[in-house]
Amino acid sequence: MGYFIFRRTVGFLLTLLVVSAVVFAVMNVLPGDPALTILGMDATDDALAALREQLGLNQPVLTRYFLWIWNALQGDFGISHSFRVPVSELIAERLPMTVSLAVAGMLFTLVIALTLGIGAAARHRKAGDWGVMFMSQIGIAVPAFWLSMLLVLLFAVKLRWLPPGGFAGWSDPVAAIRSLILPTIALGVVQSAVLARVTRSSALEVMRQDFVRTARASGLSRRRVLWRHVLPNALVPIVTIVGMQFAALVTGTIVIENVFYLPGLGRLIFQSIANRDLPTVQALVMLFAAIVVTANFVVDLLYVVIDPRLKART
Amino acid sequence: MNRRLPVNFIIGAVLVALVVGTAALSLVWTPHDATQLTISNKFAAPSSTHWLGTDQLGRDVLSQLMAGARNSMAVALVAVLLGGSVGVALGLLASAIGGWVEDGVMRLADLGFAFPALLFAIMLAAVFGPSLTNAVLAIAFINIPVFARVTRGAANQVWTYDYVLASRAAGLNRFAISRDHILPNIAAAIIVQATIEFAVAILAEAALSYLGLGAQPPASSWGRILSEAQTLMYIAPQLAIYPGLCIVVAVVGFGLLGDGLRDMSDPRLSRER
Amino acid sequence: MFELDDFSVSFGSGTALRYANLEIREGDRLGIVGESGSGKTMLALCLMGMAPDAATISGRLSIDGQDMTHANERLWQQMRARRVAMIFQEPMTALNPLRRIGDTVMEPLIVHDGLSRAQARMRVLALLEEVGIPDPPARMRMFPHELSGGQRQRVLIALALACNPALLIADEPTTALDANVALRITDLLVRLAHERGMALVFITHDLAAVARTTENIVVMYGGDMVERGPTAQVLANPAHPYTKGLLGARPDPTAPARDANGKRRRLPTLPGTVPPLSALPQGCRFSGRCAVELDYCATTRAPDHAVDANRAAACHLLGGVKP
Repeated sequence: MGYFIFRRTVGFLLTLLVVSAVVFAVMNVLPGDPALTILGMDATDDALAALREQLGLNQPVLTRYFLWIWNALQGDFGISHSFRVPVSELIAERLPMTVSLAVAGMLFTLVIALTLGIGAAARHRKAGDWGVMFMSQIGIAVPAFWLSMLLVLLFAVKLRWLPPGGFAGWSDPVAAIRSLILPTIALGVVQSAVLARVTRSSALEVMRQDFVRTARASGLSRRRVLWRHVLPNALVPIVTIVGMQFAALVTGTIVIENVFYLPGLGRLIFQSIANRDLPTVQALVMLFAAIVVTANFVVDLLYVVIDPRLKART
Repeated sequence: MNRRLPVNFIIGAVLVALVVGTAALSLVWTPHDATQLTISNKFAAPSSTHWLGTDQLGRDVLSQLMAGARNSMAVALVAVLLGGSVGVALGLLASAIGGWVEDGVMRLADLGFAFPALLFAIMLAAVFGPSLTNAVLAIAFINIPVFARVTRGAANQVWTYDYVLASRAAGLNRFAISRDHILPNIAAAIIVQATIEFAVAILAEAALSYLGLGAQPPASSWGRILSEAQTLMYIAPQLAIYPGLCIVVAVVGFGLLGDGLRDMSDPRLSRER
Repeated sequence: MFELDDFSVSFGSGTALRYANLEIREGDRLGIVGESGSGKTMLALCLMGMAPDAATISGRLSIDGQDMTHANERLWQQMRARRVAMIFQEPMTALNPLRRIGDTVMEPLIVHDGLSRAQARMRVLALLEEVGIPDPPARMRMFPHELSGGQRQRVLIALALACNPALLIADEPTTALDANVALRITDLLVRLAHERGMALVFITHDLAAVARTTENIVVMYGGDMVERGPTAQVLANPAHPYTKGLLGARPDPTAPARDANGKRRRLPTLPGTVPPLSALPQGCRFSGRCAVELDYCATTRAPDHAVDANRAAACHLLGGVKP
């Protein structure tokens, strides 16, 4: 087990390193002059030279890469050109928004998907099952940004129940939660649809196993068998998917924040692209990629906790 | 095949035919020029000349949607073909050579999953500026690991078949065997995957264009039309409805078609559904 | 206590159980033998109220005089574990792999008997002791994959006994186990039934095991109960052609397990195979494979004919007609 964790940790760190190299390569090595990108075609040669100096573009690529990594590890992602403040400050300011949204989306997804998936499995080949399968087929196909617009049309424009966008921070928790409801639903529906299907087929597989019969034979109610025996076993394969889904939710926030005008990292990325603020874009892309890789790593470790058989084998 | 066609295949095929047919039709005919501005006739209600009305610049909505279908199909086709062929080639190579090459390719594939198309498109847009080409490249890129995995998995199985072993024994080289025996055998699995990835690509293109990282004005793309419609949601909510429906129909269509093809090509692959 | 009257179970494709009549009284030890597909597992599942949803049930099943034929799930939940419990064929997969042994056995005690965790724990320790598991406190903390097949079957027996059922059904409890482990499990079941005054239904195709464990026997074929009577008498002097065939197919215990070439010796079997449910003959299920068949056997079901005071067999040949 120790060896397993060690191996996974090494793999995780290596992956992070390679990912950082790819991000750096795309942003710096591909043909194109970052200084020119930032300042635009009509910049003077002096301004370009000064910016190159400031960005350290005159140093060898490898030196710049390792310097970037080294600084990033200490929380220093350079200075944002457009905001004229350290990128780390920008991130710290906006991270809570994005994390709130992603976590809310994950909770929404888990609650909806597990309930629907297990429920559908329990009603295998009956109306409820078909209903869930149909809804999930549609749910998978609905673009999150379009769903957002529909939700805003209905709940903000027509019914006026919820705000159409914006987020004023957690100082007023009620208002904060109200502004998070629509974005959370829009973010979570697609992933719920995917996870509900996986949960259903995983649960159906578990329900065929002998121990479920044993549990029923001990006079346990269907509901108890379903939630206490089937669900935990069905979760084992689900965990991988959930890890990937958390990653998808985190990147999904980029879209959703732009639809609902939420001041998070996703908005920041687009502002930075518009401002040609390469250091900020680079730091944010790296951050998002790191979250994706980390989510998958955490899932690997979770397996050991969930499945006692794995402890013995690894 | 004596079994009935699966329901999901039939529904999927009908929807796909509808979308592809519309896209093809738009090449030769649309009710109006999709980019023709008639400011005097903005926000027109549906009528016999403009079946779905006009938008904020007086453009014909139906014509735009038809052009959008063409754009969607073209992007998905190029992206899946591009990413798919690189992925399949890598998968075949990994399977044929094995050993550290296989390990390396698969580790790279794992890595590819760390980059959602959106992140890749963001990087490209930041460096080169947003364009449809960059969006296509980004979508193609995320398809590479997907196809590499599927191909390698399926190919590894075929390598154990007796007649493949026999042709190895007969002295054929591994690349010739990959081309002549492995590829035809795993074609079904690849086509199924491609159909499903087609649906994913349509969604990705819509999202990227919506965010301004894909199709640029005045090109018609469902995602881009939606981003324009969003600002007009209070005035003309109907403009936000149709393009979304188009996306859903196209994605559901290709998704069901993929499921159906999988059920038909190998019933064992289709999980209890 | 448990009674079946003309109890039948059918599916769209055929009949799995036909006109079963059976009475189980307190402390009975009954063997049910037959090949796979004979309906013996279906019979057991019906006694647990666990027939598949698709099954159509007719006739009557009663427990303690209460009609349970079409009882709902809630009623059955009351019966299971307390009146009737069951252990299954595959001890390797019959335990929830993610649960500790202790938690698994404690669950029915907490759910049905309303015990606290501490009380349930004490009971489980006693139960594990009773079924012969060494060092119960340590085993309670283990997961199923840490136990051997025999140990797991003992745990399953402890689980089945937790709420003191009046009847324990053991469905081929030893098939998946090594021979000497199987023997010990069989003896354990008999001992427990005896000590607790509990009825035992022992389902098997192993005639040696049935001879060791039971007083009475029912022989099943193709969903019919073809012969019944005291175990020793039936095995010594079978009346139904199928029982005769089955006994003939019994492996010779004195023959070495491997032949001269070191290959595993194949067990002798009846000629032919049990047809699938949908292809069973309308009349006597055994017609077609029977050596002494009459012309109307395939079309007319044979009623039970008394062989002597406490024995019966469902064969036309016993109805006074001589071949």
